[in-house]
Amino acid sequence: MEDSHQPSAISYQPRSLALISLRFTLHASRFTPLRFTLHASLFTFLVLFTPQAWAQTGDASAGKVVYEKKCALCHGEKGDGNGPGAASFDPRPRDFTQGKYKIRTTPSGKPPSDQDLFRVISDGMPGTSMPPWTVLSEKDRWNVVAYVKSFAADSFKEAPKPVELPKEVASSEASIKRGKEMFEAIECNKCHGNAGRADGPSRPELKDDWGNAVRPANLTKPWTFRGGGSAKEIAARLGTGLMGTPMPTFIDSVEKPEDIWHVANYVKSLAPEKPNFATLLSVRAVEGAIPDDPNAPFWNQQPAANFPLAGQVIADPRNFNPSIDLVTVRAVHSASEIAFHLTWDDPTNSKADPKAKLFADQIALQFPARLADGNERPYVLMGDGSNPVYLLRWSSDGGVGEANAGGITKITPQTGEAVQAKGNGVFADGQYRLVIKRPLNATDPNDLAFPVGEFLAVAFMAWDGGAGETGAKMSFSSWYYLRLEESASKRPYVIPPLVILLTVVVELLVVRVARRRG
Amino acid sequence: MRTVWTGLALLAMTMTLVSGSITSVVAQGAGSIVGEVKFEGAAPAPKVTKVNKDKEACGEEKKSEDLVVGPNKGLKNAVVSVVGVKAPVPKPATKPTLDQKTCQFQPHVLLLPAGSEMEIQNPDGVLHNIHTFSTANPAINKAQPKFKKVMTEKFDKPEVIKVQCDAHSWMLGWIVVHDHPFIAVSDAEGSFKIDNVPAGKHKVEVWHETLGKMTKEVEVKAGAPTKVTFELKK
Repeated sequence: MEDSHQPSAISYQPRSLALISLRFTLHASRFTPLRFTLHASLFTFLVLFTPQAWAQTGDASAGKVVYEKKCALCHGEKGDGNGPGAASFDPRPRDFTQGKYKIRTTPSGKPPSDQDLFRVISDGMPGTSMPPWTVLSEKDRWNVVAYVKSFAADSFKEAPKPVELPKEVASSEASIKRGKEMFEAIECNKCHGNAGRADGPSRPELKDDWGNAVRPANLTKPWTFRGGGSAKEIAARLGTGLMGTPMPTFIDSVEKPEDIWHVANYVKSLAPEKPNFATLLSVRAVEGAIPDDPNAPFWNQQPAANFPLAGQVIADPRNFNPSIDLVTVRAVHSASEIAFHLTWDDPTNSKADPKAKLFADQIALQFPARLADGNERPYVLMGDGSNPVYLLRWSSDGGVGEANAGGITKITPQTGEAVQAKGNGVFADGQYRLVIKRPLNATDPNDLAFPVGEFLAVAFMAWDGGAGETGAKMSFSSWYYLRLEESASKRPYVIPPLVILLTVVVELLVVRVARRRG
Repeated sequence: MRTVWTGLALLAMTMTLVSGSITSVVAQGAGSIVGEVKFEGAAPAPKVTKVNKDKEACGEEKKSEDLVVGPNKGLKNAVVSVVGVKAPVPKPATKPTLDQKTCQFQPHVLLLPAGSEMEIQNPDGVLHNIHTFSTANPAINKAQPKFKKVMTEKFDKPEVIKVQCDAHSWMLGWIVVHDHPFIAVSDAEGSFKIDNVPAGKHKVEVWHETLGKMTKEVEVKAGAPTKVTFELKK
C-alpha cells in the first residue's frame, strides 16, 4: 500500500482501515499525528497530492459495460437516477448528472473524491436500496467510479481537497455534555427532533434538490446512517454536509471548531451501534400487579428484545418504503395476567383524516390462534381460513382491542365482554410506548391461552398512519418464538436443598450397607 | 532596482491605457435606459404560508414574493439587463447584503458583482441555512446557527442563483451574479433605471422568477434617457 504511487497498485481497504485513512486525510494538513508511521504519512501524502493518479485508476469505457449491467436499472442509462426501477425507491437513486453527492470528505459545493465514490460503491449505503458491490472486483469498481464521474465531467475537472476537521476529541461524559449543548444551539432538533428520532418540525417540508420529499436521519438508529455510524463518520457528515439534501455543513458554524466532535460524540451516545435483534421473546414471571403506565420505571428494569419489521410487499397495496422498521418489546406475566410493553418510533402522533390520507397509528401482536403440533405456523400475513391467528392490537384513536383473523382482509374484531385486553399508550418525541395486557387464561373460545414453559409464536405489525399506512399497507415481522418463563418464586430455595438432603440420605444408606457387609 | 522602476512605469502606463479605454466608452457617449416592467392580466393574490415554528422570530404568516404586483400593475423584483456589452463592474463601496430578518430573504433579489464578497446576515436568533442551487458556481449548503450573525460568500461566475433555507421552507431568494454594470432590479412600482449605457443599439432582457424572460431592442442616445416598457404575463 505504501508504495502505491503506481495507480494500479492502489487497492481497496476494508471500512475500518478506510476510516483511519479518512481521518488521517482530514487532519493531515493541519496536524501532525504522532501515532502514524512514516509509511502511513507517505500513503496519505500520495492520497492527497496525486489526485490525477486516482482519477486515472479507472477506465470509464470498461466501467460503462459494468454500469449498464449492474447500475443502470436504478440509476438509469443516462445516469440521471431515472432507471426503470427508480420510481419505487425512497430515497431515490442518485442522479449523477449534477455531480452532487451526499457522502463525501470534501467541502460543501465540491465533488467527492474518487475514494469517496469507491467507498460508497464498495460499502453500499445503509438504510437505502444501495447494496455493497463487493460482488464486483476492485478493478471493476474503480472503472465504475471513472464512468460515473463522466456523467458530470465538468464538476470533476478540479480534484477537490478534503475538508479539514479539527483534531479528534475522544468521547467522554464532558464531551457528550458539550455535544448536547451544541446540538441544541445549532438546532439539530429542527429536523432530527429533540431526542433525535427524525420528528423535528421541519420534517414534513424537507425536499432534496430534485424536489423529492426526503426524511431526516433517525439519530437513534446509527445502523441506517448513509455514510456510517462511527463518531468519525458522523463528524465527517457534520463537516461536509450532505449535498443535494437539506443537511448543511457545520464546519464553520459551531462555536469552537472541536464542537464538531462533541456533537458527533453526543449523537453517537444516543443509541447502541447495532440493534442486536432477538429471536426469542422471553416473558418474565413477576409477582403482584403489573403497572399500566408505559413510563413506569418497572418497564425499564425488564430486558428488552428488538424485532425488525419490513414493508408488506406481498398483498396489494404494497408498502415499499415502510415507516416503522423496529419494535422493542418487553414482556412479563403474573399468575393471572400477561403484559407486553412495546416501544417504536413514529414521527407523528397522527389524527385520522382519510381525506388527507392520514390514518390512526396502529400496532398489533399476532399469535397462532391454536397451539400447533411441531413447528407449523399460520401464514404470517394474519393466517388463512384453516389456520387462523389471534391479534392483540392498539390504535391511536381506538385504544386496545382483540381480534381474530383468517387472512389480511378477514379480520373479525372482538366486541363487548369478549374484549378483556386493556392498555395504555403514550407518545413523546417521536416515539410510542404502549402497555397492553390480558388475562393469562383464555376466557372465551376465540382467545389464545398462554401456557407457561412452552414455545409459542409471535409476530408484530405496525402502521404509521401519518405516512398513509393503513390496512395491508404496513410493516410486519416474521414469526418469532415466545416463551413464558416459569415462576421463579420458591423453586430455587426448595429444590436444591431437597436434592442435597436426598443425596445425603442416599449416601448414608450406602455407607450403612457397606459397613454391614464389611 | 532599475527593473523594479521599469516595471512600475510599465504598470502605470498600462493602467492609464485601461482607464483611458473605459473613459473613452463614456466619451463616445452614454445614456440611460429607464422604464417599467408591468404584469399583464389580473394580479393573483400572493400565496400565504402559515408559520409552524419559530413564530417569535418569523411571525404568524409569510406572504410569497414570487409574484409581487404593485399599483398600476408594476412588477417588483424583475431583473433588467443589457445583453452583450462588456465593461468592468465597479467594486461596491459596501458589501452587498442578504438579510434574513424575520425569516425572509431581504432583498428578495440581490445584485452581486461576480467575484465580490457579500454578507449574509442572521439577526433572527434561530437557525437558518443558505442552500444555493447554482450550476456555474459551486452549489453550497451552509448552516447559519443563531450565534453566527454574519457569513461571507463569494460567487465568481455570472449566474442567477436560487437560494433557499431548508429550516424555513417558505424562504426563497435570488442572487443575480453579474459581470457588467448594466443591470437593475425593478422596484415596487415596477420601475428601473440603468445608467451609463454606451450609445447605440442594444438588446435589453428582463427576467422574472415566475414569469420568465423577454428581450427588446433599444437604441440608446448619448446624454438622454431611453424609455422601454416590458409587459410580462403568466
